Amino acid sequence: MKKLGLSWAFWVVLSGTSVLPQQERFRRSPPPPEPLQELKLPRIERALLSNQLSVSIVTRENEPFCSLQLIVFAGESLSPNNLAGTATFVASLLGRGTLVRSVPDVEEFLESIGGTLSVSVGQDYVLLTFHFMEEFLDPALGFLGQALLQPNFTRTEIDYVKFTTTYDLLAKEKDPDFVALRHLGRMLFQNHPYEKFSFSSDVIKTWNENSLADFFDRYYRPNNARIIFASSLSLNAATRKISTYLNLWQPRDIPPTAMRPLKAPEKERVCLVDVPQSLECRAYVGTVFPTPGNSERFDLAVLNQVLGGTPTSRLFMNLRESKAFANFAYSEADFYRAGGVFLVRAKVRPEAIALALQEIRKEIRTLAKEPVSSLEIEQAKSYLIFNFPLQIERYDEFSWRMAENQARNDGEEFWSRYYEQVMLVNAERVFATAQRLLGQPLVLVIAGDKSVLSERLADLETYDVFDAKGQFQYTVTKDKKGAAHEAR
Amino acid sequence: MFRRSRSMFNHDRKQARLGISLGWILVFAAPLLGQSGPNFPLSHVRLKNGLEVILSEDTSLPIVSVAVVYNVGSVHEPSGKAGLAYIMENLMFSGSANVAPFQHFNFINRVGGELSASTSEDRTLFYQTVPSNQLAPVLWLESDRMKSLEMSEGAFERARNALLDDLLQKKSELYFASQLSFDQLVYSDFAHSHPVLGTEEDVRNLTVDDARNFYANYYVPNNAVLCITGNFNKLSARELVVRYFETIPRGKDIGPSFEPPVYTRQPVVRTFQDVLAAAPAFYMGFRIAPPFSNDFYTLSIVDYILFRGRSSRLTRRLLGRDNKIAYQASGGIEKRKDRAIYRIFCVVNNQAMAERCQEAIFSELDRLKRVVLSERDLVRYKTMFKQDYLNRLSSTMDKAIFLCESFLALKNFDDFPLELEKYMKVTSTDIIGIVNRYFTLDNSIILNVKTK
Repeated sequence: MKKLGLSWAFWVVLSGTSVLPQQERFRRSPPPPEPLQELKLPRIERALLSNQLSVSIVTRENEPFCSLQLIVFAGESLSPNNLAGTATFVASLLGRGTLVRSVPDVEEFLESIGGTLSVSVGQDYVLLTFHFMEEFLDPALGFLGQALLQPNFTRTEIDYVKFTTTYDLLAKEKDPDFVALRHLGRMLFQNHPYEKFSFSSDVIKTWNENSLADFFDRYYRPNNARIIFASSLSLNAATRKISTYLNLWQPRDIPPTAMRPLKAPEKERVCLVDVPQSLECRAYVGTVFPTPGNSERFDLAVLNQVLGGTPTSRLFMNLRESKAFANFAYSEADFYRAGGVFLVRAKVRPEAIALALQEIRKEIRTLAKEPVSSLEIEQAKSYLIFNFPLQIERYDEFSWRMAENQARNDGEEFWSRYYEQVMLVNAERVFATAQRLLGQPLVLVIAGDKSVLSERLADLETYDVFDAKGQFQYTVTKDKKGAAHEAR
Repeated sequence: MFRRSRSMFNHDRKQARLGISLGWILVFAAPLLGQSGPNFPLSHVRLKNGLEVILSEDTSLPIVSVAVVYNVGSVHEPSGKAGLAYIMENLMFSGSANVAPFQHFNFINRVGGELSASTSEDRTLFYQTVPSNQLAPVLWLESDRMKSLEMSEGAFERARNALLDDLLQKKSELYFASQLSFDQLVYSDFAHSHPVLGTEEDVRNLTVDDARNFYANYYVPNNAVLCITGNFNKLSARELVVRYFETIPRGKDIGPSFEPPVYTRQPVVRTFQDVLAAAPAFYMGFRIAPPFSNDFYTLSIVDYILFRGRSSRLTRRLLGRDNKIAYQASGGIEKRKDRAIYRIFCVVNNQAMAERCQEAIFSELDRLKRVVLSERDLVRYKTMFKQDYLNRLSSTMDKAIFLCESFLALKNFDDFPLELEKYMKVTSTDIIGIVNRYFTLDNSIILNVKTK
């Protein structure tokens, strides 16, 4: 990448303080930064194995750990319509025993190779993350082969996963953060295959062995998967190793699934989700939009940085530092196959919930109404550019980002041309993107103790009340005299 | 954002330049550690004012981390001044002679960097990672607050109120009261037994002069370690360090603070009624050798055998899927300056189960005393240790923190490259000896927690 000459306007803020005459001259003002060093990103090389498994290899020297990410396009949107959570169910069983290793054996094996194995499930894909010490490369890949080719979904493990998932969800239903985000997902993805992601504990009893086996057999195929492998090995050496252990994984035709684009809600909606006795209150505000173009995604990144990317962004400075309505307030943008989501999340003081919602809404709307100053845009771009190397430093963070890029087909812009793409963003582009994407109706979700929050929401024209599981309870509407009425 | 994750198995000047170049000791960490050990250059020097400086270059990315650790924590607080160290951490962001309040934080953020700070019983740490071209401004910022921190009444009041808020929240945490009671049982003196956050009464009585005195005594170059890791030119970095830090006046010498404790070996069992306990629980402690003594290396591997990872002995015995006898069980080595204990905490169903758990713990310890650990198991536990050790070196910030802490902990920092090897040399026989020496009934302290 090329060296950059960025605006350093913010630099002056440091030097406007008192000057002590007796001190050394060099202490009075900050030294200027040196020229920015070139960022040399590791090269990504690709190979396709004979069984159509796509492999991306990244060579990192002096790294004692290997990082393998397996993406399988078997996300929650592909769960059968009457069996929400099946994708999660299958993913949860990955690596939990094979035909030759019991679960305790797997636990001991992973510890013996300095390994960790985790899995995460999204709407579009499942991501299995496997880190281990490079000196144990062969046994580690051998285990991965067993987990994919010889899984052993025993009755005991199936029951165990159903039990622990139920218990886990029931426990999370006392957490306002989880409850609010899940409810926002339900509202934003209503009647879309992505809605299946927000299942509640009630559906777990419907999970069964047949649907599990069918889902695994159908989607866990090399032609429906990708591997990102980071180690000190070269492309040839790494590909050969992976091929040795995974070449028997058989491809199968997978019928393409149509995915209709996400559609923004037709009107604004406020939801209060009751989490009895919760001392905390969380607010989530979001909207969805059709899949943005590549350049728009960089506009969104800058826009997000201005609004709520860090503690120096508008939301945090306003809601926490200026008005003390919230402990924190951040925003984020995420992209899926069917579109994008933009949301704000805040931990709000319960007594300030109505005012906090008002400020969050105002901050989002302001971006769609007034262009952001060039100075603020340059500051946001500086942050994104300078923070980028920090995000890819650790081997595990690096691999995670690589996997996300690959899973979302982000393309070269998001890796080797990241700096240039961010540099091209300007105030006009950000304003146009904000108008197009953030002018949509919003869904506002509040989660906390209803008995505390209801009176704080008395000024709202209308809002819907839900229980912690997300079941609709009633609608509160204010009449002309300002009195609240409940309608079921 | 909409993603469900599950961790399945985890676990300047010409003269100065000349002077300093003679004083730098270059250490290469690699060859002694075997092929998968850490492999990085390391050098250190003590400036004329006593500041210890560690440099470790890594040119893989254009970033640099700067950590400053002050050899001070809650154990250094005078009686009646609990919470002072924690307040000082906060006050270090309140501005200095040439830096406006909170501009340190704002600067790091605006250049895309990340920063944080922490206070423990025995050290206070400040660290940041920034693009490598920002090294000079960061050293300027760190040196200004080391040389000339400004503490107004207002800033002190804000820091104290923030701490009182934290204390209020902490008091509402389950088992917090019983945890403090156990600390007092284990550590006989005020210095080691009081919490890092302090006590409400002490915090309310603190004054800005207490903070100024504390800063003058402990936030001095001869009580600090500065570590720079990442992508920098060593020669330029040395010049910058000398320029910004060497003229900061040396503080008073800080002598060894604590007399070695005298303990009588007899079992201690007490009961505590905790109004915030959700279920009965117990704490169990064993006083062990101080950090980085000869026995400490074996004790660290014993920690992995007992409680690290899913296959560890006490995890399986107490929390096994088919024979679970505790709701929650955790254990590990706790270090407080010159002292260490092995601490276990279990939440159980009822008192009978507490007794069953305690019997199970002693039974596992007894097995470890009598039956030689298989080579396969020993290698597995040591591999887990090595994984965690190397993980602490996997980013410039992690490495800077680890190097600072190691400097304060090790008798001779030049031995750092040999450290991992010492752990890897632990044998099954060493383990039997250490468990017999420390994990005995007469060296145990138990606090049974009852619900109200």
